[in-house]
Amino acid sequence: MSNDLVIKDLQARIGEKEILKGVNLTVQGGTIHAIMGPNGSGKSTLASVIAGHPGYEVTGGEIWYRGQNILELEPDERSKLGLFLAFQYPVSVPGVTVANFLRAAINAHRAEEGKDPRETAIPVAEFRKQLREGMKLLEMDESFARRYLNEGFSGGEKKRLEILQMTMLKPSMAVMDETDSGLDIDALRIVAEGVNRLAGPEMGVLVITHYQRLLNYIKPQFVSVMMDGRIVREGGPELALELEEKGYDWLREELAGTA
Amino acid sequence: MTSLTLKELSADAIAALSRQRGEPAWLTERRSEAWSFFAQSGPPEWRRTDLSGLRPEELAPTTGTALTLEWDEALAGQGVTLKPLGAALSSHAELIKARMDTAVAALEHKFSALRAALWQDGVLLHVPKNVAAETPIRVRYGLPAGSRVTFPRTLVIVEDHAQVTLIEEFFSGDQPATALAAPVTEIFAGPGSRVRFVSVQRWGDGVYHIGGQKVVLERDADLEWTSVAIGAKVQHIEAETALKGDGSRVNWLGATFAGDAQKLLTAPWLRHIGHHAESYMEFRTVVNDTGYSVFDGMIKIERESTGTSTRLEEHALHLNPGARNDSIPGLKIDTNSVLKGGHASTSGDVDEEQLFYMQSRGISKTEARRMIVMGFFGPALDTIPVEALRAELEAAIEAKILS
Repeated sequence: MSNDLVIKDLQARIGEKEILKGVNLTVQGGTIHAIMGPNGSGKSTLASVIAGHPGYEVTGGEIWYRGQNILELEPDERSKLGLFLAFQYPVSVPGVTVANFLRAAINAHRAEEGKDPRETAIPVAEFRKQLREGMKLLEMDESFARRYLNEGFSGGEKKRLEILQMTMLKPSMAVMDETDSGLDIDALRIVAEGVNRLAGPEMGVLVITHYQRLLNYIKPQFVSVMMDGRIVREGGPELALELEEKGYDWLREELAGTA
Repeated sequence: MTSLTLKELSADAIAALSRQRGEPAWLTERRSEAWSFFAQSGPPEWRRTDLSGLRPEELAPTTGTALTLEWDEALAGQGVTLKPLGAALSSHAELIKARMDTAVAALEHKFSALRAALWQDGVLLHVPKNVAAETPIRVRYGLPAGSRVTFPRTLVIVEDHAQVTLIEEFFSGDQPATALAAPVTEIFAGPGSRVRFVSVQRWGDGVYHIGGQKVVLERDADLEWTSVAIGAKVQHIEAETALKGDGSRVNWLGATFAGDAQKLLTAPWLRHIGHHAESYMEFRTVVNDTGYSVFDGMIKIERESTGTSTRLEEHALHLNPGARNDSIPGLKIDTNSVLKGGHASTSGDVDEEQLFYMQSRGISKTEARRMIVMGFFGPALDTIPVEALRAELEAAIEAKILS
């Protein structure tokens, strides 16, 4: 089974609006790969479709991961396959505490067919230990665990919680959707350190961002540029620097010229 | 009682039985009077409670009882009285005579009158002045064996500066035929007293629950009330907290779950009479399958009150498009001196974005829905002071989510 995330001619829309118009992209397992692009290019839609958001209709193409076309799987099955999406706008769930949510998620990952869930559930002491350690690394106060999921959290708290979830669920491929949006430098550093601790042979990362800023902290080996629902250019880290310096218009004009 | 059906019973038969049981004359008289009222009145005109499936005249009351009392008997040593109301008639006759039916009127409608005429099961709870009853007291009513009708009656008197926690439950299995439970609960909270009250309605299918509940708060009395309603086929509960004394206070939480074809109506009223009283009411409702619930809440601020602070919230969650919830909150203000008043109401489906977010972490849709609903009821369930009861209610609610 390959840990590469392979996207072939992916097309998707929301309502009548075509957003992805044939995305072709391979994210190699264990690498850091950035997707950059101007607002409205379809970057966040791509992240949502990878995770299986029910609001988007996939009208064509395939997404392969670990030997399966994941478009046929429910969002929870994709998660159990090792995919993780760090949300741009994490959702609040009043009444469900961070600790209960995390335990439920971990236990869902540990569940095995034909086995009593009580048998595969994480022991309480082990869970508490992992939670405490994760929160400490992300400089989160212990009272966090008792708060309702994302309810009344600041932007920085929400993003740290996303990384805490990633830390505890140990995905093999993480998609970071505009994780830098709304973060001050301090929070950005903490979040990026959290990602860097996990990135490596065990976990590939697809970083979706509008700005180069995040890529100073999470350094990609590969950069792809998305415009108008397609990947229009691929390169190394130098491509990100070039875009930062010249903006997207330059690339748009060049593409128009070659068309 | 005999196994006569209601249409075969008479005022004479009821009076004879009352005398035979050695009840005081005033009670015999009240029973007869109530029966006459019942016999003469038509069915109540409740727009949102459908009683067409109930044929009370065919029900046959028995003398059987189905009452369980659970409490730490050390409380008796502190002076607390907890006993079946029938037995209490010999020890506390004057107290009962003076208080019974004074909070909730007996001759209000056909079913309240029927209850006043025929009640068997009942409880007297008396907490003397300055006594703090620390451990929860549980009163559980069922359907007497072989019977499909019961009229439970709870009378609670909490004297000045006393404290008590009471859990009142109505419980049975599913009934093969229509059954009727028409209980009444009257709680008198004296000056400076603290009352924690949990009322739980979890009858089985087939039961019509037509209930009245009222708590009267004297000066500086403090009430925490949690109302849980998850059982029965049809429920019609008229409940009231009367903030009679100055500086009295209530925090009232509700959790209602109507699944299958249940029709559950609750009409909770906050009545402000005293000065500077504070009230907060928050009812949460979940409807599933073809369940139907009605929240008919009301804040009534009487003319003589001043400085009232009050807030009412009602939130409903729909698990199935066939389920329905009507929310009819009302506000009647007869004074021009209100300190603070507010109201909020929401109603909607389980949020798709919440489900997606939870699913994206590996949690199945079913489990995500379960967690969202349990979280929705969390504030009310968290107030239940007996862990075993809370676990039972959680299990019952989970079963209703998955149905």
